[in-house]
Amino acid sequence: MIAVRNALLLIGLMSGAFAGAAEVDGDWSMPAKDYAATRYSALTQINAHNAKGLHPVWSFSTGVLGGHEGQPLVVNNTMYVVTPWPNTLYAFDLSQEGYPLKWKYRPDVNSNALGMACCDAVNRGAFYADGKIIYNLLDGHTVAIDAASGKELWKTQVADLRSGETITMAPFVVKGVVIVGPAGGELGIHSWLKGLDLQSGRVLWTARNAGPDSEVLARPESFHSFYDKGDDLAAHSWPNEAAWKTGGGPVWGWISYDPQLDLIYYGTGNPGPYNPEQRQGDNKWSCSVLARRPEDGALIWAYQFTPHDNWDYDANAVLILADVMVGGHERKALVTFDKNGFQYTLDRATGELLAAHPYVMVTWAKGVDLKTGRPILDPAKQTGASKGQVKDICPSLEGGVSPASPAAYSPRTKLFYTSTNNFCMDWTAREVRYLQGTPYMGADTPYHAGPGGNLGSFIAWDAVNGRKVWEVKEPYPGWSGALVTGGDVAFYGTLDGWFKAVDAKTGVVLSKFKVGSGVVGSPITFRGPDGKQYVAIYAGIGGDMALLAGDVRSDDPADVRAPPDYLKTLWRHTSQGGIVWIFGL
Amino acid sequence: MVMLRCKSVALIGVLIATQLTAACVRHQNAATSASENASANAVPPAVRYEDRIWAGGVPPPSGGLYSVQANSAQNAQDGEALFNSMNCDGCHGSGASGSVGPNLADGRWRYGGRDEEIFNSIFYGRPKGMPAFGGLLGQGGASLLVGYLKSLPKPDTVPTESSIESP
Repeated sequence: MIAVRNALLLIGLMSGAFAGAAEVDGDWSMPAKDYAATRYSALTQINAHNAKGLHPVWSFSTGVLGGHEGQPLVVNNTMYVVTPWPNTLYAFDLSQEGYPLKWKYRPDVNSNALGMACCDAVNRGAFYADGKIIYNLLDGHTVAIDAASGKELWKTQVADLRSGETITMAPFVVKGVVIVGPAGGELGIHSWLKGLDLQSGRVLWTARNAGPDSEVLARPESFHSFYDKGDDLAAHSWPNEAAWKTGGGPVWGWISYDPQLDLIYYGTGNPGPYNPEQRQGDNKWSCSVLARRPEDGALIWAYQFTPHDNWDYDANAVLILADVMVGGHERKALVTFDKNGFQYTLDRATGELLAAHPYVMVTWAKGVDLKTGRPILDPAKQTGASKGQVKDICPSLEGGVSPASPAAYSPRTKLFYTSTNNFCMDWTAREVRYLQGTPYMGADTPYHAGPGGNLGSFIAWDAVNGRKVWEVKEPYPGWSGALVTGGDVAFYGTLDGWFKAVDAKTGVVLSKFKVGSGVVGSPITFRGPDGKQYVAIYAGIGGDMALLAGDVRSDDPADVRAPPDYLKTLWRHTSQGGIVWIFGL
Repeated sequence: MVMLRCKSVALIGVLIATQLTAACVRHQNAATSASENASANAVPPAVRYEDRIWAGGVPPPSGGLYSVQANSAQNAQDGEALFNSMNCDGCHGSGASGSVGPNLADGRWRYGGRDEEIFNSIFYGRPKGMPAFGGLLGQGGASLLVGYLKSLPKPDTVPTESSIESP
């Protein structure tokens, strides 16, 4: 009898295991859903036929008015939400009606960080690993919180606020290592990437993004840049030590990982200052993608999208790992929509450039030379203090795609989905002095609308052929991340406060809802405890576009803003907010 | 404030004071180079704000760190140069018209708009991210900036009211 019972139990366990294996993962445990950073969920319940029935099923005010970038996580029937400064962490119990809080974590975050963060006090989210929620505080700390209890397990200072370093990126966890980097490209930081021990928070390694090989962790036995040869590339491509030590190259975007190659990929931001004549040379590795080993931080390869950046073209956009056909062959590729207006396809094993297609209007370069990997510059668009005002540079420094709005990739449609911006700019640079803890910029850069009459759009992009498959034109710049699902529905939000579901194949808008404030966050989808599929999104305008939108705040009588000429009416559609929304059928 | 700090330290102990003398001298040099008008009068910072509520109806004692005549055309011009060279425009925008930091040209003040209040904001910093420039600028430099900000013409309409496009 006991034997029979055991046998039945075994069968039960096995069938459970098989069902589990066949069932699609309904959680969302890391910022971009998976290591390849696709923001693709295989959930199919919500599809192009029924998405018109999407409606809000729950909402929650975070109590914080600020740019709600990033995305919630859903793990074990719990939803985790990180707010902008002061970086409160909420844990909602999805198994109970009304999703009450299980707990709330309130870190003591230095308010001086508000003056060091260049572009609003945003946070791009948390990472779940080994029963812990890991995230960064604006004032330069990384924390690990017990996912079940909300107890702080460790807190490590990783960035130096006094030298202009803040942290806005979401950490990345792989092989027991927590990987973090700083913001501060506008404050002359000496940027880095750090690996922390997941269990203790101890810093295991620090790799600089500029400086001699010993600091950059570029070892002759392991580092092979496809295009650039020689020692100390990241020091010799600057005029002197003082320049690379204040040269920016921040890490405020996203990280991806290829388990087969055992490489992490991250992008670096603009070099400082904005006056390029103060930093002759390529300024490596600013505006670059770097591939490192997660265990020790060793640099394996690097590729610079915008050498000697003249236009604030940070390369912090998401680096999506996908297999892409190039010249009739499937390549293990890394695909990104750079701020500089080109969609790049790189061989992710070597850093070889396979393709570069303009995805918005580009005037600063005529193209990218696939032999040298370097952009073919338009000399008339070179900026500098001696050049006076340089006009009509496209895209603007906000990027053809903002790194704050990560793209998605569907293995079903083989298409990439992303918000875009349609601004151009003029650029007047001037000499500027480095003063620790103050902005190190030196440029006046007014924007104007690009061609077409719309300031933004949401597009589906074919990276094989470098073409736009469809486009939803938007009146305002696109600042939301993208999500695409196994039901062939793509999701995004707009600065004027709409949350939209579109047919991933055709771009037809299937449903939309006004969420109360402009969207700068990224949607996620998950399966709830009731077995139903849901979609979550933050509302809460912020980042650069909140600073430029005119009068979108009402909580500070000393801060009333007139809208700029290029964004005259956005303030009529949104005000600051901080709302978590969940939609269902 | 630089002098105040040095003096009070001297009261604590000769040894520490000796160690800090070099630092004090350096600070004073920076202050004097920022402006020839830097007077080092060792008084508490201005804390008496006439328009505040006084607990118990008792006004706090008034002090005066701010002691330089700000409202002259020359001071405003020198202050404008400092506004750019000290990277103030990086946060407050060119012409102090606002960016990530608040607009300083619209007559609205988060921490008070009296000369000494603006001075204190610059000199000591403010807790929502305004760095303290007193060490770099000295009293003279900070008061030149006050002069510049006070010289900016105030708009006579609220920006929101004037930005609705006529149909």
